Amino acid sequence: MIAPLCRRGAAAVALLAGLACGPAMAADRAALPPYSFAYEPQGVDERGMWMMADEDERILRTSSFVIRDEELNAYVRGVLCRTVGEDRCRNVRVYVMRIPQFNATMYANGMMTVWSGLLLRVQNEAELGAVLGHEFGHFEKRHSLNGFKNKRSVSDVLAWLGMVGPNAGLSASLAGYVYSFSRAQETEADLIGIQYLASSAYPSAAAPKVWSRLMAEQDATAAGRKRKVRHSYAAGFFASHPTEAAREAYLSREAAKYADAGDPGAEAYRKGIAKWLPQLLDDQIKLNDFGGSEYLLDQLAASGGSADVTFARAELYSQRGNPRDYVTAAELYREAIAKGCDRPEARRGLGLALLRTQQSDEGKQALRSYLEFRPDAPDGPMIKSLVGN
Amino acid sequence: MKPITLIIAAALAAAPAYAGNSLIPAGRTVQVAKSAMAVTPGSEWNKLGRRPGTNGEIWTLDGDKLNRVTFYGGIAQDTTLFREVDRKNSPLPRFSQTMLLTDVPKLLENSYRVALGSALFTIDQMEPARFGGVDGIRFTYSFVAGNQEVQSKGEARAAIVKGRLYMISYEAPALHFFEKNVAQFRQIADSATF
Repeated sequence: MIAPLCRRGAAAVALLAGLACGPAMAADRAALPPYSFAYEPQGVDERGMWMMADEDERILRTSSFVIRDEELNAYVRGVLCRTVGEDRCRNVRVYVMRIPQFNATMYANGMMTVWSGLLLRVQNEAELGAVLGHEFGHFEKRHSLNGFKNKRSVSDVLAWLGMVGPNAGLSASLAGYVYSFSRAQETEADLIGIQYLASSAYPSAAAPKVWSRLMAEQDATAAGRKRKVRHSYAAGFFASHPTEAAREAYLSREAAKYADAGDPGAEAYRKGIAKWLPQLLDDQIKLNDFGGSEYLLDQLAASGGSADVTFARAELYSQRGNPRDYVTAAELYREAIAKGCDRPEARRGLGLALLRTQQSDEGKQALRSYLEFRPDAPDGPMIKSLVGN
Repeated sequence: MKPITLIIAAALAAAPAYAGNSLIPAGRTVQVAKSAMAVTPGSEWNKLGRRPGTNGEIWTLDGDKLNRVTFYGGIAQDTTLFREVDRKNSPLPRFSQTMLLTDVPKLLENSYRVALGSALFTIDQMEPARFGGVDGIRFTYSFVAGNQEVQSKGEARAAIVKGRLYMISYEAPALHFFEKNVAQFRQIADSATF
């Protein structure tokens, strides 16, 4: 793609200027950042990485897991662009995925995936921007390509070592180098991400908060499962990422250095994901993680939780299903209805909870109300059999 | 690689997968899932040697990705529908005697969401239905397993008898396979006794 352009478009200029058109031009192109307009990957390794990423993107575009809501996608993209700047984000393709875990990914060719679990866990645009900026940092610094080259170099050396003779200590330290290289890239992406945040209208202090709350959620999950979790600053030998504690610590230090102010955009964020919040909550509470889910619901309630949050908490208790949980669930369903929850399922849940707390008449009344609200309910015949008419 | 080496390698690789699979003949009443549940299939089925859990059994016609009948034979209080792969990090929900029949579809849904790593699971319909001579539930559902793009459909019958959950489910790709064999499944479910 570069050579024909050079021959046709710039030939006359090159001749007049007496410049050799080719290597110099290629070198200029290679120096361009990968987010440049119409950027073409340079060299066999980068071309290969992009080719594989292009294929991944072709497959992903038709995936059932992609949330095809233009409004939501435009909103998430808007947060990315406001964080890294319009010039950088222009060529990035963002795909919001229906995966209820905390994650986002970046591919070598500028494809970004944002998982729905991330949207439930961040509380404002600045926190979302911190994660998206981190992912963009991987793209800008060509981390996929450099990580691949590093792994290849190490495996080459290991192959040669194998011919010379076994050396377990050296082999282990080389393998360890691959993981420490990966952790170094993650740290670099974190630092770039917070730099973007500091340069944007969002405050960089939002970045460490993502990690402190993630640790608290892990604690809550572990406590709910009667386990313990230890947060360490030192990463394990095979860890691809620094630990959450380390990330929270160095991002806090960076944020203190920048000391920038700004509106984190909490209200705008609530509005931005409002349409999808019931779905995000529903996917979370079905993960059989009572402790972690309750922690997230507490966080959402503290930041001005809606009737949707109360309904989700009622469902969470109802699902756990201890006899006492139905008493709590019934109260929460009532609270959600009082707050204006217009989902017929709130009345269904209330009725089923009451039936299990020896309040049969009230339970049946709530179930009748559910059937009135939703005459075409997919479980209508089953509920009618419980009501008894 | 020499042909004989290839044959030995193929035999070694294939042996565990096929070990214990057996043919279920048509018209004979058989006990399933190591339980009191018995069914009389109207056509031949293949019973897989591997079990989804202690109280589980899988039958198929063309391979369990294409049509799969799963028997859950008396799931007890505080046990899972099938074996947990990662109990520490991804524990499965457990059956509880406080559950009503309307909770059974959600138990299956939440177990699948964790086990298949997919949020794409919906309960489509549920209605009362006799199962094994007792009052039970019939429900249908749709799902896509994580990292796969196959839209699958399912149909199940379940009943709670003496505090234990009995269930038979049928799953197949929505395209062609579900409709192809659903009648054979319904015949099996109709024949169930406890």
